Amino acid sequence: MRYITSRFLFYFVAFLIAISFNFLLPRIMPGDPVDALFAGAAGQLDPSQMDAIRAMYGFSDGPMWLQYLQYVKSVFTGDLGPSVLMYPTDVTTVLGFTFPWTLFLIGLGVSTAIILGLILGTIAAYKRGNWFASLFPPMAAVLSSMPAVVTALLVFYIFGLKLQWFPMSYAADPSLEPGWSAEYVGSVAHHAVLPLLVIVLVSLAQWVMTMRNAMINVLGEDIITMAEAKGLSQTRIMLRYASRNAVLPVVTSVAMGLGFAVAGQIFIEIVFNYPGVGNTLLKAINARDYPLVQALLLLIVAFVLIGNFIADLTYLWLDPRLRK
Amino acid sequence: MTDHSMSTDRSSMPPKAQSRPWRRLRNIAAFFQGNLSASIGGGLMALVIVACLIGPWFTAHAPDERVARPHVEPNAEHLLGTTRQGRDVFSQLLHGGRASLSVAFIAGAISTVISILVGISAGYFGGRIDQWLNFAMNVVLVFPQLPLLIVLAAFLGQVGPVVIALLIGITSWPWGARVVRSQTMAIRQKEFILSAECMGENRLRIVLVEILPNLISIVAGSFVGVVMYALINEAGLEFLGLGDPTIVTWGTMLYWAQSSAALYTGGWWEMIVPAVTIALVGGAMALINMSIDQVSNPKLKTGPHIKRWRKLNRLIQAKRQGGTS
Repeated sequence: MRYITSRFLFYFVAFLIAISFNFLLPRIMPGDPVDALFAGAAGQLDPSQMDAIRAMYGFSDGPMWLQYLQYVKSVFTGDLGPSVLMYPTDVTTVLGFTFPWTLFLIGLGVSTAIILGLILGTIAAYKRGNWFASLFPPMAAVLSSMPAVVTALLVFYIFGLKLQWFPMSYAADPSLEPGWSAEYVGSVAHHAVLPLLVIVLVSLAQWVMTMRNAMINVLGEDIITMAEAKGLSQTRIMLRYASRNAVLPVVTSVAMGLGFAVAGQIFIEIVFNYPGVGNTLLKAINARDYPLVQALLLLIVAFVLIGNFIADLTYLWLDPRLRK
Repeated sequence: MTDHSMSTDRSSMPPKAQSRPWRRLRNIAAFFQGNLSASIGGGLMALVIVACLIGPWFTAHAPDERVARPHVEPNAEHLLGTTRQGRDVFSQLLHGGRASLSVAFIAGAISTVISILVGISAGYFGGRIDQWLNFAMNVVLVFPQLPLLIVLAAFLGQVGPVVIALLIGITSWPWGARVVRSQTMAIRQKEFILSAECMGENRLRIVLVEILPNLISIVAGSFVGVVMYALINEAGLEFLGLGDPTIVTWGTMLYWAQSSAALYTGGWWEMIVPAVTIALVGGAMALINMSIDQVSNPKLKTGPHIKRWRKLNRLIQAKRQGGTS
């Protein structure tokens, strides 16, 4: 219980730091962000509306600490004002229709990569010594160093543009009515194939290497010799003794993995013009829609923090030593 | 530790003291010898660095001038074709490499210095200092770096290569700091540190002379790691149009290829050339990094050693079975 509380507190403080960073950013940057913000909206808004927005974003004349408290309050109540890019839609509403797409891609992609990585990593650890296993680590190192931009562009070029096997843009056929119809779901799946392929390609090697290294370390330990001496079957040793211990470092590295996955996701969404958070982030930056940019950054941070917390809970479930 | 004892008795052992630089070189040679991935990675990296250093003096075309029709296919005159703006891709690749590699190495140096400072302070001094520094490390580690960089770059507005190097250097130190910290904590427990402390050596000297030399392989590993990461992220930021598009780098080459729809209009070389180059250089550094990792963590080593061990094991098994039957 203490473990959960301390982890939760850590993430909460980290989130507060992210909010403070977000609050300070427009205030310490050169130039006046309010002017920049309204330059983007020029012609769309009349002065009274501008004053209303100015107040809504916390750029009031009050003292700094009051502005800060207002900002924190607006984050937790989800009242972030209207977006400039998609005026008069609320920032929160924009997040509402972009985030599900990102969550869908990243959730499916990362879990596929982790599960595949665990299986392949175990095999790689058991089959050390043959030619494949000695070729494998350098191959994995090179593969996991492939930048997501490059992988996305290559996959886009080969499977999208040249072979034309899969669609190259959007999350679904725009002519279809969104809903749970078989046609629409099929179109979504068809459009998700290439982005998912890129996510798995970019992150798979890292999971395989983590699992393999952890497995090699565990296989050298006494508990395995003991289990073998007891005459337990190989599969039982592998699943209940080795894997369970070896998977712990993998769970720990989810923290870094999620950060990388989110970074890769941004490029994937832009290359494949997928209507998720990353794509919207770039559009918001180009439109100088700073409220939306900041809200998207907070959303991404919150997503990574929650992912980390889930990883911690999984760790707790796998490692009884922490359950006190 | 041996280095230290030798430097104090230099007068008694002049030949060995003279051969020290040579020994260093031999150590580096030994690292590459018989290690195929390190040799391939190191060779490729050396080739790229030399090409980007001296290549720009020999290119026939300026990288930022229209020298031919748009999207000329690769030929003898333009080895890698031309861009949509009619610029020579080969010349851009060499000139851009200078900028991109400089950014990567500067970011790597900044990040490594910070990670050594933070990691050693946390690991050596412990207590309160360690708690605070460790907390700072964990917070920066848990934040997604690239979105943070994107937003920072967006607020600063089209940033040049130097600013990108600074931004990446300042945000990427915690990975290095974490390994340096745990290694420092391990070294701290060793007897030679205790003896140095008992002899009353001052702390700065202990850190610089006794601890730092033992961290070299770890620091080298994290330096290569950050250089690789910086190269990739610089390209990423510039691909998104957040860099200064008038400066030729591998990242801005990608940006121009993307914004002129090079893939759609058939000028694939404009996009594929910088993309594959970045991937190759990243891969070369990953190979070097992996080899450093294997040297500092021998448990991960496979290949000939494991094979020899298996052979021995089989022999012993066979002997045993022969003995019982």
